[in-house]
Amino acid sequence: MSGRVRRSGTCAAALALAVLACSGGDARRPGGPTLRWYANPDNGGQARLAARCTAEAGGRWRLEVLPLPSDASQQREQLVRRLAARDVSIDLMSLDLPFVPELAEAGFLRPFTESEGAPLAEGVLRGALASATWRGRLVAAPFTASTQLLWFRRSVAAKAGLPVGERPVTWRELIAAAERTSSTVAVQANRYEGYMVWVTALVASAGGRILENAEAGKHAHAALDGEAGRRAAAVIRSLARSAAADPALSTADEEAARATFQGARGGFMVNWPYVHGAAQAAVAAGSLDRAVLDDLGWARYPRVDDDRASRPPLGGIDLAVGAFSRHGALAVEAVRCLTSRESQRAYMLDARNPAARAAVYDDVEVRRVFPMADLLRRSIDEAGARPQTPYYTDVSAAVVRAFHPPREVDPERTPAAAARLVADVLLDRVLL
Amino acid sequence: MKREHPAALSVGARSAPESKGARERRLGWALTAPAFAVMLGVTAWPMLRAVWLSLHSWRLTDPAGREWSGLRNYQVVLSDPLWWDDVATTTLLTLVTVAVELVLGMAFAIVMHRAVIGRRLVRTAVLVPYGLVTVVAGFAWRYAFALDTGFVNGWLGLGELSWFGARGTALAAIALAEIWKTTPFMSLLLLAGLAQVPEELHEAARLDGAGAVRSFLSVTLPAMRTSLLVAVLFRALDAYRIFDTVFVMTAGAQRTETVSFLAYRQMIGRTALGLGSAVSVLLFLTVMLFAAAFVKVLRLELAPAGGA
Amino acid sequence: MSGRASRLGWSAASAVVVGWTLLPVAWIVALSLKQPGDLRSGRFLPRGVTLEHYRAVFATPLFTRALENSVGIALVATAVSVALATCAAYALARLRFRGKSIVLGLALGIAMFPVVSLVGPLFDLWRTVGLYDTWLGLILPDLSFTLPLAIWVLSAHFRELPWELEEAALVDGATPWQAFRRVAVPLAAPGVFTAALLTFFFAWNDFAFGISLTSTDRARTVPAALAFFTGASQFEQPTGAIAAAAVVVTVPVVILVLAFQRRIVAGLTAGAVKG
Repeated sequence: MSGRVRRSGTCAAALALAVLACSGGDARRPGGPTLRWYANPDNGGQARLAARCTAEAGGRWRLEVLPLPSDASQQREQLVRRLAARDVSIDLMSLDLPFVPELAEAGFLRPFTESEGAPLAEGVLRGALASATWRGRLVAAPFTASTQLLWFRRSVAAKAGLPVGERPVTWRELIAAAERTSSTVAVQANRYEGYMVWVTALVASAGGRILENAEAGKHAHAALDGEAGRRAAAVIRSLARSAAADPALSTADEEAARATFQGARGGFMVNWPYVHGAAQAAVAAGSLDRAVLDDLGWARYPRVDDDRASRPPLGGIDLAVGAFSRHGALAVEAVRCLTSRESQRAYMLDARNPAARAAVYDDVEVRRVFPMADLLRRSIDEAGARPQTPYYTDVSAAVVRAFHPPREVDPERTPAAAARLVADVLLDRVLL
Repeated sequence: MKREHPAALSVGARSAPESKGARERRLGWALTAPAFAVMLGVTAWPMLRAVWLSLHSWRLTDPAGREWSGLRNYQVVLSDPLWWDDVATTTLLTLVTVAVELVLGMAFAIVMHRAVIGRRLVRTAVLVPYGLVTVVAGFAWRYAFALDTGFVNGWLGLGELSWFGARGTALAAIALAEIWKTTPFMSLLLLAGLAQVPEELHEAARLDGAGAVRSFLSVTLPAMRTSLLVAVLFRALDAYRIFDTVFVMTAGAQRTETVSFLAYRQMIGRTALGLGSAVSVLLFLTVMLFAAAFVKVLRLELAPAGGA
Repeated sequence: MSGRASRLGWSAASAVVVGWTLLPVAWIVALSLKQPGDLRSGRFLPRGVTLEHYRAVFATPLFTRALENSVGIALVATAVSVALATCAAYALARLRFRGKSIVLGLALGIAMFPVVSLVGPLFDLWRTVGLYDTWLGLILPDLSFTLPLAIWVLSAHFRELPWELEEAALVDGATPWQAFRRVAVPLAAPGVFTAALLTFFFAWNDFAFGISLTSTDRARTVPAALAFFTGASQFEQPTGAIAAAAVVVTVPVVILVLAFQRRIVAGLTAGAVKG
């Protein structure tokens, strides 16, 4: 009997241990509340900005920056999971643009009121502002905005006789010019989000859209199989099958495209603005020839149709307040400081990510570091955003799957197949 | 007073036989109940909920869009080429890893059995892969095969082969990592079986003039049949559930996705709770079916083993 | 074949086996000691040794907290699991009662369970109940998967024990408590300890629950944290840091294996293999 008692006692003690172990709260800090800002890795840029705004807050609140994973879809995964568990410790978060509708629709973001939203939206570039709005309300504050430019080697363009930078050029002209000079047109066509960026820009530049009526959620209409979709597919096909294509086109990402462009057969490239700063840094470090940097030119994203202005891709980061945060009002204050004109200017110079406010591009220092400032501003303003839908990750995965590999794209079949796949995915009729 | 032969420590010696049996039953249940309850609670309840979830079309991030869909999710999964592709991948990985592990594990078992010098060293070394965290092994092998950091290409003189760039080589890398990690466990199970083969059988074979190989094939292996069966079936069920290694090494890219990873990706990545649950339930049923077959085969094996 | 040659032959074979099993461990150690510029060299051995990755890793709360969580959760799960399993295994080995086969069948069934299948519903359940991202939220699923292993090892062990010794002690006049403490406990202790070791390895190794049922360093364990290490910038792969963290998390395993090899082997093979 005592044996049994002893054994049950041991069992009970062990269970008690387990119950005790479930506690795990964090200690309170003295002073103003700490606002936790979950930000993507950017070499400490956002952390420095947070320090500035904390100083300006004068003790009312403190900003603490915590890292998110470096991959955008992993960032989204983490945030979705935590917010689905009503995490109270997320006060601010840096969101990649396409994920804003999803989080907003799920009720994970604290929308801004009219009065809160006015200073956040004032003077913001059109493309960036649209990305932060869902169902007519401002749910996030535009922080950085980005777009792709057409980068080219002046020598190659001159040899091909193509007046890049002086007038808008089309994809057809680019490919022909590259073929004539035995150089390449570098794009991102790996099976990932970067490919969706390219496809979207092509479709938008052809005057179409990927998704219509996105606010209908899973009953949105996939509009890919129209004329615009077919012309976009034709561009992809012609590049993939031409001699001007990168041999590793179907696995090329931003870095691979940059490497191809800076290599021996480099001619043209579409890529984000970071490549300019990266090239300067490479020259300073001695890993890139100075001549390549001097040969570097930039122009507006290429057109699909001769008579229609191109719609460059749109990227960037919006700042949002978590819906379950205990310090909502203070978080909004912090957001106002972080997205102010001064903050955006400082961040643009520090982290080399373009700002979302138009006025920042007029700044003298900014124009010195970014000689293409006007082009950037205009491109962002006229950008063609990726579809804004709560089902963005699914739509993107479906489009990428249907359009990959680039060589197999067929203007008659691929857009229709993609539209069907998107519709199926939205209605849970297919695995992805 | 003559003390009864106590069947269990805890009962006093004065009870009559019938109530002792009853008390023993009660005690037996009392002692096993907590473990039973925990095991059942943390697996059965979520599994039931998974079944319930799988009957809906539900996105975590679109709670308003949840609707009943009956068995449609299962229909979608079972008719989707991606599901069958992943089943094929998983089956291929299972077959390859178990087959190689069987041969390699047997070899290791023989070495451990026969080695005298350094016997303890081998036994210890062989446990390291067993205890090592699977994710760590995954990272180690990933960095070993990677184009930029890895030494495999250098050692084998393969130049710039991109192991993770194509399905076949990526699967080979994953298979190697799995084999490395789980062969030790296999070899220990086989060693146990090997150690139990009576020496007289070997003596008899030697007297009959059989060489080492012959003796192994016709004496040792048949005598070890049960151990072999247990090891193979156990490992096969384990291998079908492979997840950690795939997650770390390729994240399912290049068509190396396994069924477990598919379930994870639908549930957690896409937050498609309905479809993901259907995949989870199907995976569970597959494994349970094999497990049931395993137990039946094992019972058949053990049944005629009345003697020896 | 002379005895000596064959002995040398088997020793050589042993050396090959040892080399093969320790190769990736040596590799990850080498990686963790490499200088940052050397990481992408494709060589096995480091050109120059540096401890900066270890320094970096121990300065990251992501890792140090994950280590705390891993240790705590594994220890608690082991303690509870062994306690419950000892009760159950004792009953299974020594008592007669109906339903033994149900319990054993359940244990076997759970050992075959695909862990990933539970991840989704558990996530949903835990976030509703408030156990998401907590120690208990990880301990409970760990328990359900370590219990079958512990029960299996312990019941096999208990079945082999000479319980007559305990009965003899009682006959000799010891009280039940004395018989338990002086005879039963020392008899059972090695098996319990082995079960604890094996259970600890299992809990230490958990990954699927770690990545799905946690999201902050409140409860995230090291295997999950490894998968979330980030470099300073968008494109950097923190190879050295991951290697250092991997080595740190392997050290306890190696120590335990070195110290208790005999027990572990005996436990895994149900005593069939003599050390």
